[in-house]
Amino acid sequence: MNKKPPRPAKAKSTRSVPRRKLGPFLRMVWDHKIVQKVETRTLTLADGTASTRPFSFQLVNFTALFLVFAVFWDMIVGAYFRKTSLWLFFRRVPNFFNILEKMVTTLDFAYLGNIIDPLIDTVQMAILGTAIGALFSLPVAFLASQNIVKNKAVSGFFKVFLSLVRTFPTLVYAAVLAFVFGYGTLVGVIATSIFTFGIMTKMLYEVIETLDLGGFVAIEATGANKVKAFVAAILPQIMGSFLSFSLYNFEINIRASAILGYVGAGGIGILLDENMSWREYGRIGVIMLTLFVVVILIENVSRYLRRRLS
Amino acid sequence: MIAFDHVSKIYPNGTVALKNVSLEIQQGEFVAIIGLSGAGKSTLIKLINKMTDVTKGTLIVNGANVSLLKGYELRKFRRGIGIVFQSFNLINRTSVINNVLAARVAEMSTLATLFGLYTKEDRILALESLHKVGILEKAYMRADQLSGGQQQRVALARTLAQSPKIILADEPVASLDPITANQIMKDFKKVNVEENITVIANMHHVDMALKYADRVIGINAGEIIYDGPSANVTEELLKKIYGRDITDEDIMFKDQ
Repeated sequence: MNKKPPRPAKAKSTRSVPRRKLGPFLRMVWDHKIVQKVETRTLTLADGTASTRPFSFQLVNFTALFLVFAVFWDMIVGAYFRKTSLWLFFRRVPNFFNILEKMVTTLDFAYLGNIIDPLIDTVQMAILGTAIGALFSLPVAFLASQNIVKNKAVSGFFKVFLSLVRTFPTLVYAAVLAFVFGYGTLVGVIATSIFTFGIMTKMLYEVIETLDLGGFVAIEATGANKVKAFVAAILPQIMGSFLSFSLYNFEINIRASAILGYVGAGGIGILLDENMSWREYGRIGVIMLTLFVVVILIENVSRYLRRRLS
Repeated sequence: MIAFDHVSKIYPNGTVALKNVSLEIQQGEFVAIIGLSGAGKSTLIKLINKMTDVTKGTLIVNGANVSLLKGYELRKFRRGIGIVFQSFNLINRTSVINNVLAARVAEMSTLATLFGLYTKEDRILALESLHKVGILEKAYMRADQLSGGQQQRVALARTLAQSPKIILADEPVASLDPITANQIMKDFKKVNVEENITVIANMHHVDMALKYADRVIGINAGEIIYDGPSANVTEELLKKIYGRDITDEDIMFKDQ
């Protein structure tokens, strides 16, 4: 009936895709992606029943708002008041390629002999630190799990304690501990284990708190105390996660311990620091290449093992 | 022996679960507790091993005043009482034998528990328990790979490994199909007769209760309506216990 007149042949030939109007698109964005309009909260069904969705911000709205805010902050506040901005990044990118070129063209493979020992130190720091941290994480995860320790004050105390532990990265711990224990690998081990402990414990108690406690309750009912019931009924259920988290933390730690030498914790970081100050780009290149190979190797072995576990 | 003397249970939210209940259960009895949901069946069972505490009156179990037990004394007392849950409550992700052995940890040191250092006697006891309920061949399978009926058998074996005097069963067959339920009840009966273990079971289905229990306790709104041999339970009585006619839902085998 109300048919539109046929399009002119010219328009057809120039555009194969029909033009989308901007209006409806903006409306859609406005309706769903940025701010939920009040009218859309109530939907009416065929028989007249109305269903009202309670007002809530959607995750996507927040993401969009945050991105807009971040760009705004960087362009206006960052660039004009603090002199730091993403623009700086784009201006300096060529420098990176200059240094990279120097590294690659002067690679000093004779230096490899000096790397091996510190590299072994670095890997050892990561292994020991992960093992010690993981070991301590089990009992504390028990104490921080609210469904096991019914007392909210106790589990809450440990949760707060753990979030305090997690405040600092490995590097900060190592820097502080170097004053106490002197320079050396020991500091790296302790710093790594503290960091691992903080992360592992949180990951573990989060798993424990979602577990089915039927077995635990049953073992408690046989007259076992909480610790024994935990060991007998909870440990078998979290052992897979525990090993998987340990490997994952080992991956993080191997990367973190590479720079620990900067603050005096031993390992390959010392060499990196040294050669950076001497601008020995060829040696830095070799160190980075070695690190790259080791990290990739460990990461892949670990990922393979973790996949086997799950 | 279990003796309830004018026991009442009022929950903190004001719900009166049991009113002035007095009864005695001798060693080796098979007692079924029947009644509507919310009548107080579960509460009655939970009081016996102090999963919940008595509000008024006294409850004596094997010579101990239950409401006075605390800490180590309570844990020691609980070793003599096994519980079978409606949802089996097995430890997933571990073997059947480890599930049964877990009943022994109460009497082991924490270190031995940590490293799984069970004694040879404990291992044999666990295997014997599995043998009694007829699933010895599943001992080294993972518990969560078994069927519902098999899982409940593991739970019963775990309870047996505790060498209990009393087994409490909270709706032990309510989540099983009729055939399996019958087999599980037979296992309970066997344990009851052969080992002289007192069995106290909450039963959802009237016919199963009457078939396997020697004695039936009927509860309605926290009060005991009937307490006597299951042979003497009449249609009239069931009407009083349930406050209505018995429907198909209360019976597992509808053709009987």
